[in-house]
Amino acid sequence: MSGVEPRPAEGRVYDAYLHLLDRQVVDPDGELICKVDDLELELAEDGAAYVRAILTGPAALGPRIGGAAGALMTAVHARLSGGAGPGRIPFHLVADIGSAVTVSARPADLPIRGFEDWVRTTIIDAIPGASDAPE
Amino acid sequence: MKRLLAVTLGILTAIGGFVDIGDLVANALVGSRYGFALAWVVPVGVVGICLYAEMCGRVAAISGRPVFDLIRERLGPRLGLANLAASFLVTALTLTAEIGGVALALELATSVNYLLWVPLVGFLVWLVIWRVGFARMEQVFGLAGLLLIVFAVALWKLGPDWGQVLHDASHPALPPGEGLPTYLYYAIALFGAAMTPYEVFFFSSGGVEEHWTRRDVGVARSNVFIGFPLGGVLSLAIMGCTALVFFPLGVGVDTLGQVAMPPAVALGKVGLAIVLVGIFAATFGAALETGLSAGYTVAQYFGWQWGKFVRPLQAARFHGVTLLTIVVGVMVMLTTVDPIKVTEYSIVFSAVALPLTYLPILIVANDPEYMGERVNGRISNTLGTVYLVLVLAASLAAIPLMIATKAGQ
Repeated sequence: MSGVEPRPAEGRVYDAYLHLLDRQVVDPDGELICKVDDLELELAEDGAAYVRAILTGPAALGPRIGGAAGALMTAVHARLSGGAGPGRIPFHLVADIGSAVTVSARPADLPIRGFEDWVRTTIIDAIPGASDAPE
Repeated sequence: MKRLLAVTLGILTAIGGFVDIGDLVANALVGSRYGFALAWVVPVGVVGICLYAEMCGRVAAISGRPVFDLIRERLGPRLGLANLAASFLVTALTLTAEIGGVALALELATSVNYLLWVPLVGFLVWLVIWRVGFARMEQVFGLAGLLLIVFAVALWKLGPDWGQVLHDASHPALPPGEGLPTYLYYAIALFGAAMTPYEVFFFSSGGVEEHWTRRDVGVARSNVFIGFPLGGVLSLAIMGCTALVFFPLGVGVDTLGQVAMPPAVALGKVGLAIVLVGIFAATFGAALETGLSAGYTVAQYFGWQWGKFVRPLQAARFHGVTLLTIVVGVMVMLTTVDPIKVTEYSIVFSAVALPLTYLPILIVANDPEYMGERVNGRISNTLGTVYLVLVLAASLAAIPLMIATKAGQ
C-alpha cells in the first residue's frame, strides 16, 4: 500500500498512509460518516497501484489492528452481520482531501450504516425527544 | 461589549468548571495530611493543563477536528485502540466518581443515604445531556460551580499567618511520621487530578461543538490562561482550608462531609449551604463533561457522528455509548463501593494514562498540515517537552508507588 498512484503530471501528490488511512470521512455538509479504515487497491498492468475504494467498518479495521483484539473485532462483526464484508465507498465519490476526506454522497445513501441504523431504531428512537433539534 | 461579555462568561465558566470531585478530594486530603507541603504541585499541574488545553483549543479551532479524531491518525489504529481503551476506562471511572460525588453532596444536604440518590443522579445527568444545549449546560454548571469561591472566603476568614503559609508552601518538609513514598504518591494523585485526560478531550470537542474557527483562538486562550489558573486558586483554597482546620489536629480527610466542614467552621450555616450547592454544581457539571467525553472518545476513534450540535437521532451510536456508560457508572456506585476511594483510584489511573493523551497532542499541534502557520511556538514546545517528561515519570511511578504505599495508607 505504498503511493496512491505514480506521480501525476499535475496536482497534489497524496500519500495513502499519511493522507488517507484513518482519516475522518465527511459529507459536503460536514456530517461525519466514518473513518478510512482501509483502502481497496487495484494493480494496473504497469505495476502501479490505484485506489479503488475506501473500506470501512470492523471488517476492514479488524485485520489492520491485528492480534487478538483485531481477530475478536472481525469475528464479532462477521457473526452479527452474517459475514458481510467491509463497507465500501467508491473512490470516484471523493471530492476533497483535507483534514478530513469529503465525499459527495449522503451518508444515508452509502451501504455502511448498519450499526448506526440498528442503534437508532432499537434504542435512541424509542426515547422521547430523539428527533428534537438541538438548542 | 458583547464580545467582552462572551469572554468574561467563558472565563467564569472555566473557573467554575475547573474543580471536580477529583480536585475536591485530592486537595482536601492532601491539605489535611501534609498541610501546605504539597501546595507546589497545584501550580505545576495547572501550568501543564493550561499548556496542553491551549494546544487542543488551537487544534480544534484551526483544523476543526477534536483531539481524539487526530490521535488515531497519528498513532495508527492499533496504538490508537489501546489509547482509546485506557482513556475510555479512566473517563468512565471518573464519571462513576462524579456521580458518587453528586449523590454524597445530596446526602449531606438531605440526610438521605447517597445510595438512594445515585440512580436519580444518573438519570438527571443523562437527561441534561439528552435535552440541554451545549452552551447553556456549560454556563449554568460552570457559573454555579463558582460558589466554591466560598473556600477562598473561608480561608481568609480563618485568618492564617500568611507569612507562615508562604514559608510552609515554599519550603516543603515531610510532616513527622510520613514517609517519602506516600508523599510522592499524593503528589502524583494531585498532579493527576489537575491534568485529568477528560479535560482535554472535552475542551477540544467542546470547541467543535461551539463551531470555533480561526477567530476563536483568542477566546479559547483567555479561557485557558485566565480561567484555569483561577480554578487552580480555588483548588489551593480547598487545600488551605483543610490544612488549617484538620492538619493541626492530625485528622485525615476521608469523607466529603469533612471537605465541606471548613467553610461551615468559618462562615456558619450560610457557608455550609453555599459549599454544598457549589460541590453539587461542580461534580454535576463534571459528570456531564465525563459522560460526554466517554461518548466523544469512542465516536471519534471509529468516525461516528457525535455531538450535541445535531439531533440525537443523527448521532445514535454516540448517545448510545453515553447512555450505556452512565448506566454502568450508576451500577458500579450501587455496589456500595466507597465513592471517595473510587475518586482516589480514578485520579491515580488518570496519572497513569496521561502520556497516552498528551504525546499525540504535542505531535498534532506541531503538524503544519493541520495547523498551517499556527503550529506550536518555541515556548509551547519547550514547556510541552518538559511536561511530557514529567507526565511520563508520574505515569511510570504511579502504580509501583500505589502498591508500595498500599494506596497511600
